Amino acid sequence: MDLISIANAVINGVVIGMLLALPALAITLVFGIARFPNAATGDYMTLGAYTTMASQLVLGGSIVAAVLAAMTATAAISLLMYFWVFRALSERSHVSRLIASIGVAFAVRSTITFFAGQDQYVIDVPLVRAWNFGGLRILPTDLYIVGAALTALFVVFFIMYLTPTGRRMRAIADSAELAAASGIRARRVMIFLWTIAGAFCGLGGALLGIKAVVLPELGWELLMPMFAGVILGGIGSPVGAVLGIVTFSIAQEVASLYVGPAYKIVLAFFILLVVLLLRPQGMLGRPIAAR
Amino acid sequence: MRQPYDLSRRGFLISGTAAATLGALQAPVLAQEKVFRLGALNSITGIGGPYGPYMLEAIKIAVNEVNEAGGAAGRKFQLFAEDDQTKPEAAVLAVKKLVEINKVEAVVGIWPSSVGLATMPITNDANVITMNTCGAPEMLTENKKGLAWMFQASNAIFGNAFAEVARQRGFKRPAVMAFNNSTFVGQANYFKNAWESGGGKVEAFVIYEPNQSSYRTELARVLATKPDVISLSAYRPDATIILKEWFQTGQDCKFIMPGWTANEDLVKALGKEATEGLISISNVAADKHEAYKRFAAAFRKVAKREPDIFAAQSYDMVITLALALEAAGPQADVAGVNGKIRSVTGVGGTRVNGFAEGRDLLRKGEKVDYEGASSRLDFGKHGETVPDFGVSDIRDGKLVLKETIPGKLPA
Amino acid sequence: MEGYFIAIAISVLVYLLMASGLALQYGFTGLVNFGHVGFFAIGSYASALLALKGVPVPVSLAAAALLAALAAYPIGIIALRLGGDYLAIVTLGFSEAVRMTLQTEEWLTRGMHGLPGIPRLFAGWVEPRYIDLCILLLLVVVCVAVFFAIHQIIKSPFGRVIEAIRDNEVAVRALGKNPAQFKTRSLMIGAGIAGLAGGLQAHYLTFISPEQYVPLITFYIWIAIVLGGVGSLRGVVMGTVLLVGFLEGSRFLRDIFTGISEVQLASVRIWIIGMALICVVLYRPQGLFGKSAERKH
Repeated sequence: MDLISIANAVINGVVIGMLLALPALAITLVFGIARFPNAATGDYMTLGAYTTMASQLVLGGSIVAAVLAAMTATAAISLLMYFWVFRALSERSHVSRLIASIGVAFAVRSTITFFAGQDQYVIDVPLVRAWNFGGLRILPTDLYIVGAALTALFVVFFIMYLTPTGRRMRAIADSAELAAASGIRARRVMIFLWTIAGAFCGLGGALLGIKAVVLPELGWELLMPMFAGVILGGIGSPVGAVLGIVTFSIAQEVASLYVGPAYKIVLAFFILLVVLLLRPQGMLGRPIAAR
Repeated sequence: MRQPYDLSRRGFLISGTAAATLGALQAPVLAQEKVFRLGALNSITGIGGPYGPYMLEAIKIAVNEVNEAGGAAGRKFQLFAEDDQTKPEAAVLAVKKLVEINKVEAVVGIWPSSVGLATMPITNDANVITMNTCGAPEMLTENKKGLAWMFQASNAIFGNAFAEVARQRGFKRPAVMAFNNSTFVGQANYFKNAWESGGGKVEAFVIYEPNQSSYRTELARVLATKPDVISLSAYRPDATIILKEWFQTGQDCKFIMPGWTANEDLVKALGKEATEGLISISNVAADKHEAYKRFAAAFRKVAKREPDIFAAQSYDMVITLALALEAAGPQADVAGVNGKIRSVTGVGGTRVNGFAEGRDLLRKGEKVDYEGASSRLDFGKHGETVPDFGVSDIRDGKLVLKETIPGKLPA
Repeated sequence: MEGYFIAIAISVLVYLLMASGLALQYGFTGLVNFGHVGFFAIGSYASALLALKGVPVPVSLAAAALLAALAAYPIGIIALRLGGDYLAIVTLGFSEAVRMTLQTEEWLTRGMHGLPGIPRLFAGWVEPRYIDLCILLLLVVVCVAVFFAIHQIIKSPFGRVIEAIRDNEVAVRALGKNPAQFKTRSLMIGAGIAGLAGGLQAHYLTFISPEQYVPLITFYIWIAIVLGGVGSLRGVVMGTVLLVGFLEGSRFLRDIFTGISEVQLASVRIWIIGMALICVVLYRPQGLFGKSAERKH
């Protein structure tokens, strides 16, 4: 393979990775604080993509307004599910929360297909050609996508590391008991967590819908690579999640130049195994003892 | 406290008796007016989701047409619909229900080859006619009782037609991209064989995994070989993404695609600019046939859109079945009806475009040849159609028919 | 008529076999296996391919169970050193990797074209119209045997150790037992049962293709055991009957609700499953038919 092809694959991997970094961050935050792998993450993304499409139809035109509406809607659903389901389960085993999140995933997706059907939709954005730098192709749309993702990531990292809410969040992630003992009220942190998780999944889904097509299985299909990316980065580590998913996406894209596309997923599994064997705490995570 | 209970129970008893009496009254009526129990097994959910629901609509339209005309051989069609979820094991249960509970005599609308192959042993055991759009060559060899009818051209014929068109249009450096399922991989392989047996070389051959959010790397791999045409065997969602990404690269290249993907729906998803010049190949039908025009009008009324080829084929399944039933007569069993399918579609009869027209001629003792909404429908010895293909270009968002090429099996 | 009920019963029993394997792994050992369908797939393909090569079906079925169990060995070794969530994701990845391999290695599996013409169980031994009934009876026998075996395992010293692992791993370790070894064995037995179920299904359906082995099957089995009640064999049976009964029974809803479209009905079906799952976890954690209260991990 020539260098240009590899470079293009890398660019593509970065774009997809940045896009998936948003829901991946949601996964890792939920894992670190609410302590379970949230299987509904993918379907929150799907919800984001569908609400973007729907609000574009209703509001007409402005894609930015549509995406913001989608983020609000997914954040609302995410909070609703917290208050109804995950809050009540917070004292129970993490497997029970995982199972419940599969139920949430099914419920969200089937509600979407009940109203929208099984057929595909597209989010209306103008088609533009890529800038071509001697074979290196960069898409203006992709730049917007990466820009939007970076902005969102910047905002959440700012909050996490430079505000009192963020400090409380990290304290709970470190040790829920210690945090409670030192008087941190978990409720507010949880509300903040689920708002962020919902909004980020919504944004990720909306961006994905713009880039690809809107289908009922859009987010669900991505759960596996996202979890792999999160593990690669170190489960529970926010920066790790972003680095992990981007690395992972690049690896997948470059690999599909060499192996058959079907083996992308096999490769993902393989990376996962190697990481778990050599460095179970991931790229940036703290060593996690067997729970 | 006892009284209301007793009352309600008496009420229940009364209504129960009433229902029973009603049932008894109705039974002889039903027996007099013998119905033909028809099963529709469609891929409503799963990968078939974009097509299955419309196939069911088309079947309903055809059933209405037959019933409004008074039924076939005096028998009205009673429809039982099931979703196979585009999954073989769900299809097995669904078809068992149709066969065992609903006692259907024919199952129409089977879409993917995997469902066709999984259900064939059951329908064969039960002596049930099946009509499908499956393209896998194994359908022909597994059709051991001759009860299965393939309304879609097999992959072999399709792949061949793609290669034929590429050659006629003067392309020199074709590449192949195909969705990883049996139909499209088959198509891609037959394209490659047909092209290479003609002395050419296929520049790139990529089978991609479905359900991805980007196919850019796969596409780059193909485009790197600088093909002048890509045979793209895809469904609408992946075709939308691939063509979007191809357009964005700005690289010049043509695409040959199956008609159920390259059509007005694709234009709606992608816009006119990105779809300009796509070559769409489909069973020729159609839009010239009276049957198609009438069907399309009825379809537009319920579905608010143009029918795709699978919908047209599903419509044809029911009409063909109805004509065969009419030809076989009211006393005929399933085998008798099945035996007439070739004769009502074969060459030599008077061409008819709809059920009522055909039935009237059949009653006069004439031979008919149903010219379907999907193709002219002539069945080969394994129950396969070898349709002619219509080659259309997409120009300014519309399909423009350029030429027709005769379909043929690979040498 | 009875043919359809036989078909449903066969479907229930195949799921039940898989569910019993998972019940051993999760319900009694606490292993979070989200790749159950991968072992099921290995069993299906192994048995089908061997039988197509002319190996007698009983032998190919045994080989299927064995192969699936062996496939679980490396997974166990690698992942059991880690916490439950890791195992969930690794096994999910494993099942997808299996599916992709089946899909790609055409020389062996015919890829997406699937394997048609797999020899039916009992073909040539009994009259064709009684074959389904015989398969059903065989499945009943196999299920009873498997349940009995699981029951014995739980009662055995090995069973007491795995239950102890589930409840308190540290204590087990303190007693000088190596939990990972016990977990691996439990994982392998469960996988072997799933492989056997896969083989039986392949010889019943006579056609298999990689699309049949999607993660959704795994989730269905999880749903079945969670609904019924984790950690009790009665719960597993009832959960499976309930789930498959609902999935099939909802077909008849269509004959009642005529106003709703097919597409919407399919959505309603999944919605009900999703909601049932949430509500059971929330309001009846021991499952609809379970007795013991849920343990904390």
